[in-house]
Amino acid sequence: MNIFFLPESKLRNLIETLMGRGRLFWTRQKEKSITIEEVDEEYIGDYKIPDLRSYDTFKNFILPLRSKVAEYPDEKWEDIEETPEKTVLFGLKACDVIGIGLLDKVFLDDPDYIDPFYKKRRESLILISSDCSSVKESCFCDLLGNTPYVSSGFDINISPVSEGYLLEAGTDIGNEILKELSLSKADKKLIKERDNSREKVAKNLKKQNTKYEKPFAKDLSDIVKEGYESSEGWALGSTCVSCGACTNICPVCYCFTLFDRVDTEGKKSKRFMVWDSCQYKGFSQMSGGMNPRFPMMERFKNRYYHKFFRFHDRYSEYKCTGCGRCIDNCLGGIDMREVLANIKILETISG
Amino acid sequence: MDNIYYPRDAVLTDIKEETPTIKTFCFKLDEPLFFKAGQFMQLTIPGLGEAPFTPSSHPGKLTEMEITILRTGRVTDALHYEVKVGDHLGLRGPFGKGYPLDKFKGKDVLIVGGGVGLAPLRSLIYAIFDRIDDFKKISICYGAKTPEDQCFTDEFKEWEKKPHTSLHLTLDRPHPDWEGTVGLVPCLLEKDIIGVDIKNSYVVSCGPQIMLKFVTYKLLEVGFKPEQIYLSMNRRMSCGLGKCARCNIGPYYLCKDGPDMCYADIMDYPNVFE
Ligand SMILES: Cc1cc2nc3c(=O)[nH]c(=O)nc-3n(C[C@H](O)[C@H](O)[C@H](O)COP(=O)(O)OP(=O)(O)OC[C@H]3O[C@@H](n4cnc5c(N)ncnc54)[C@H](O)[C@@H]3O)c2cc1C
Ligand code: SF4
Ligand code: FES
Repeated sequence: MNIFFLPESKLRNLIETLMGRGRLFWTRQKEKSITIEEVDEEYIGDYKIPDLRSYDTFKNFILPLRSKVAEYPDEKWEDIEETPEKTVLFGLKACDVIGIGLLDKVFLDDPDYIDPFYKKRRESLILISSDCSSVKESCFCDLLGNTPYVSSGFDINISPVSEGYLLEAGTDIGNEILKELSLSKADKKLIKERDNSREKVAKNLKKQNTKYEKPFAKDLSDIVKEGYESSEGWALGSTCVSCGACTNICPVCYCFTLFDRVDTEGKKSKRFMVWDSCQYKGFSQMSGGMNPRFPMMERFKNRYYHKFFRFHDRYSEYKCTGCGRCIDNCLGGIDMREVLANIKILETISG
Repeated sequence: MDNIYYPRDAVLTDIKEETPTIKTFCFKLDEPLFFKAGQFMQLTIPGLGEAPFTPSSHPGKLTEMEITILRTGRVTDALHYEVKVGDHLGLRGPFGKGYPLDKFKGKDVLIVGGGVGLAPLRSLIYAIFDRIDDFKKISICYGAKTPEDQCFTDEFKEWEKKPHTSLHLTLDRPHPDWEGTVGLVPCLLEKDIIGVDIKNSYVVSCGPQIMLKFVTYKLLEVGFKPEQIYLSMNRRMSCGLGKCARCNIGPYYLCKDGPDMCYADIMDYPNVFE
């Protein structure tokens, strides 16, 4: 793999070259928050790549909050064509890249049904990731076996080093873009520096999450499955208010509902795919009042059950990136690490 | 590329009243649609939305489909009161696995339905009749609230005429002249009534969740093993594709792995009959 050096002064060139490839959205430090917004051309000169993941996720770019999937104009259902515009996402962190890979498993890599809208949107994206250079209290990607940097899944990855950045292409498009920039190859010293900083961040992360290491070393799918009836861990969920903030902010929660409505002129019927949340009471509500997950605690458990057992059973991976956004945003102050660490698998008395 | 959320056009050709709350809707399709008994469709009323239903018609009929529907809410009320013959509705599917008929080969098949639950089973019954010599005894048990609540009564005589097939009916609230069994469906499942060889049989059951629960317990009580019991499980559905993630029991999505599930596969997971 070729790694190139981009001097600090040429970050502008990289951004402008990428802008030639599509609408560019970057992560940007704004006071205390890291936002995702469209590039501000006047700010490019002062722009710094944030150290951490953004407050919000990039999910909306691939799986919009609401998207039209069919239309019924006259007597027949009309298939709709969507041509998403080319979009460059700039500043994704490892957890964002991994999250997109997990969504791909559901909507793209399914041998039975590929979501055509997802596929088109996904193909229109260029992903520019960057290494984390510090850690947030809620970060726990390490506990799930991930690192605060990625080695695949991006078009270009950026690693900050002294006086510039190391750039690595992960795809043909990435390679093409790097070629356009005609950069020189990074020397061994810089690569060593990158590896050292990566290690340092990973170490800080490990230090902050030491107390969770033991429980997370166990098979999490066993923990949520066999510990389903355990009161200890789940009891921490008793402050949940079923607001759905956790699933909405999650980069990999993808539950949705198909919703039909007639437009304002009363002529066309439209079908929308809309985000839903297993934390809402209506999510599993059936007619006649039946609801397998009516009690709040059943819904609270379902989120974990889906992430660590059901998804894992199907795709051999946990549906969690460890980004910690659910921890930052929980109205009930619930920390997913604490919940998982405290679930006890009840020993069944045998014999 | 195929839009998996887009329904195909289905013209309503007839509406038959089965009971005061159940109607059978007949559709004409412009292209053949292959489905296995037990697989289900998402039926769309334009502008109003979709709801999942299992066809009640013969799976061999490729350009006609019948769906028998109980009135119970938004979409089903509109079906009962608003749509007319000639209307264009939408259908997506088929979804799910369908009944594992090949597995039932050489065995007795006990079919247990309650209320509108006989609708999906009718499709299975037709499929079984097509290859009836593949199976030993076919025993159909059906329960409804009152005589007026029974579906498909005009076909019962024909079913009973089929070789090695028997029909057992029960009513919760019969008329005074009813000579058959009175009570809920499980009361049909006494060993001596159903007359199947319990060790060499499979059971298929469809009906309200509460009925499935008590049917299952009764079956276990009379000696069936969880491996022999197939239940049409109910969950709220939307996509039908195993993506929207709401129709789950344990690791399974009913829309993809079911909706008919072997009880042995689901019995250890939470909220099976909730
Ligand atoms: C696999 C399967 C097979 C079935 N087969 C049959 C059958 O053969 N015959 C039969 O009678 N029943 C069958 N059912 C049950 C049937 O699906 C329900 O009775 C039906 O969904 C009730 O829909 P409703 O809109 O009338 O009821 P409601 O209680 O009004 O709605 C049911 C749910 O759908 C949601 N919904 C309503 N409108 C919309 C909309 N515009 N967009 C999105 N969601 C909406 C509601 O929020 C509600 O929670 C089957 C169910 C399953 C899961
Ligand atoms: S964010 Fe917290 S309070 Fe809100 S639904 Fe999720 S766990 Fe419950
Ligand atoms: S209905 Fe969407 S996953 Fe089953």
